[in-house]
Amino acid sequence: MSDLITVTNLTKRYGDFTAVDGISFSVHRGETFGILGPNGAGKTTTLEMIEGLKSITAGEVVLDGLSVKNRPRDVKHRIGVQLQASSFFDGLNLKELVETFASLYGRKVDAMQLLRQVQLEDKWKSRVKELSGGQKQRLSIAVALVNDPLAVFLDEPTTGLDPQARRNLWDLIENIKAKGKTVILTTHYMEEAEVLCDRVAIMDHAHIIALGTPQELLKQSDVGSTIEFRANRRPPTEIIQQLPAVQQMDAEDHGFKLLTIDPEKTLPALFAVEAQHGFKIFDLQLRQATLEDVFLKLTGRKLRE
Amino acid sequence: MANTLATLTSSSIKMFVRNRQAVFFTLFVPIVIMTIFGLIGFDTEPKIKVGLVVDSPTPATAEFLTQLKKVPAFDITTGPEATERNALDDGDRTVVLLVPDDLIPTGPVQNPRSLTVLQNTGQLQQAQTASSVLQQILDQTILAVAQAPPLFRLDVQAVNSRNLKYIDFLLPGIVALAVMQMAVFSVSFLFVDYKERGILKRLVATPMKPYQFVSANVITRLIVAVVQAAILIAVGVFAFKAHVIGSLWLLLPAVILGGIMFLGLGFAISGLAKTVDAVPAIANLIVFPMLFLGGTFFPTDTMPGWLQNIVQYLPLTYLSHSLREVMTQGSGWAAIQHDLLWMGLWSIVLVFLANLTFGFEEKRV
Repeated sequence: MSDLITVTNLTKRYGDFTAVDGISFSVHRGETFGILGPNGAGKTTTLEMIEGLKSITAGEVVLDGLSVKNRPRDVKHRIGVQLQASSFFDGLNLKELVETFASLYGRKVDAMQLLRQVQLEDKWKSRVKELSGGQKQRLSIAVALVNDPLAVFLDEPTTGLDPQARRNLWDLIENIKAKGKTVILTTHYMEEAEVLCDRVAIMDHAHIIALGTPQELLKQSDVGSTIEFRANRRPPTEIIQQLPAVQQMDAEDHGFKLLTIDPEKTLPALFAVEAQHGFKIFDLQLRQATLEDVFLKLTGRKLRE
Repeated sequence: MANTLATLTSSSIKMFVRNRQAVFFTLFVPIVIMTIFGLIGFDTEPKIKVGLVVDSPTPATAEFLTQLKKVPAFDITTGPEATERNALDDGDRTVVLLVPDDLIPTGPVQNPRSLTVLQNTGQLQQAQTASSVLQQILDQTILAVAQAPPLFRLDVQAVNSRNLKYIDFLLPGIVALAVMQMAVFSVSFLFVDYKERGILKRLVATPMKPYQFVSANVITRLIVAVVQAAILIAVGVFAFKAHVIGSLWLLLPAVILGGIMFLGLGFAISGLAKTVDAVPAIANLIVFPMLFLGGTFFPTDTMPGWLQNIVQYLPLTYLSHSLREVMTQGSGWAAIQHDLLWMGLWSIVLVFLANLTFGFEEKRV
């Protein structure tokens, strides 16, 4: 049983509005699984149904062999949860807070060790309201780990953080993964999904519109990378057009724009042509395709609009 | 999971004690109210204001006036008739006495003089008290003048009787009021805040059962209610010289039952209020009338009959009445059974209501 979570035809309806429409996927043990999509796509609702926080209208979620519908409490014992914009009690310091949450699982934990893991050891005496945005998110991850869960759910963990705090959190998530935990996260940052996730499900309008490793998604959706350069004199355009993996070429005077599905093949060939025909390339730019492009291609919209 | 409840309760107590606002409203405000109402001093009865109009009294009449001035309940002003009549018209005198110079005769009497008493009809009760005191002094004076031996003597002995002062009446009311305010407001504000900030949702994401978290908060506030009652009674007794004669142990079931009743109300309100801003509006709508009608500051039996019929069923009335029975009357179990029973009924109703309105999860489809 290599799948930790199996989601089958999961559906959530509020009256006439369908927030999640019959989606199915599974999450392997030990992988980092990302749900990517714009606001309102149904990412959070999906996560909260799996976590047993929202009732399931139709379909089924099985986690570690347990049906979430029938045994929500047993499932909650096996998972750790970070909610979007979660806040905590004001009257307790971080150490007391971690210990209080551990007691909710009937456990005793080494709170300082957990705080050390999220680099908040020095702050153990502080109150939550004294923490920065990044520190709050790290605390909330520490609290999600109090029960030594099989899977950790992170709902937009880096939204609203500055780039440094975001990278800091990425390291933390990598560490959690390295400890063998399965991580399920939602995000609307493409970059984040590409860096962190083994597999990504792209959600839009209550449906999963694509699922796979970031590489697979790029390949499947057939979006290429762009190579741009200028040359000191006009190179042989017909040869450049024939370079390996090039799909399309735009040439204006001395400026070239190549669309390629595999820049790793195109670039060396381009340099060979340069040496052979004695022109000089400058202003070379490579823009690799991202999940952003995949999303644009699949939906015709940008991810964050 | 007894461990869960114990840890949650100890966390909850820490949070309550560290919340300055909660401590302020739990102890400081009731003490301020007690001080203000204690200082107003409803105890000292106003003196009867007596205006005296007299020219040049004979020695016997002067003796009578001396006696008159010794009456502690009288506040005597002497002046010309016109001035005193004006003062009476303005309501500044209860009675004005027009005393003839030779009111008290020194010899045999043919033609008894009369002392005219002008009464303020607006203060008829006090005016009549004044008249009867006057009559008494007159009688004594006449006996003294006639040198007749008194037929009997009034023997007044000082007995240290239990004089109910206003502070004695007030203290149980303040304790009841304080328990109500603490229970209703601390719970309703806190839980709406928890709901708004997603803290309750975060708790639902753990395997904890909601009743465990609610119980921890209820236990915390019942402990606070008992400590609060003890401190307020101590302040009343030591700082305001209130008399508490009943068994303090009997207060315990009343305070705890009252606490449960008002915590139920607090949870019901936190279920009704969608935002923290809505809490004071809803809570005060219910609590404020009770504050004045529930026997905190005035006895309910001075109210008109129809109002008494409503007021006697208010939750706060039962709590303040039971506390007052024990503290000022020294009554036993039997006298407060009825109040406790009604508080029990109210608790059931309010906890039921709280179950209907309050939930950890948003009551959404």
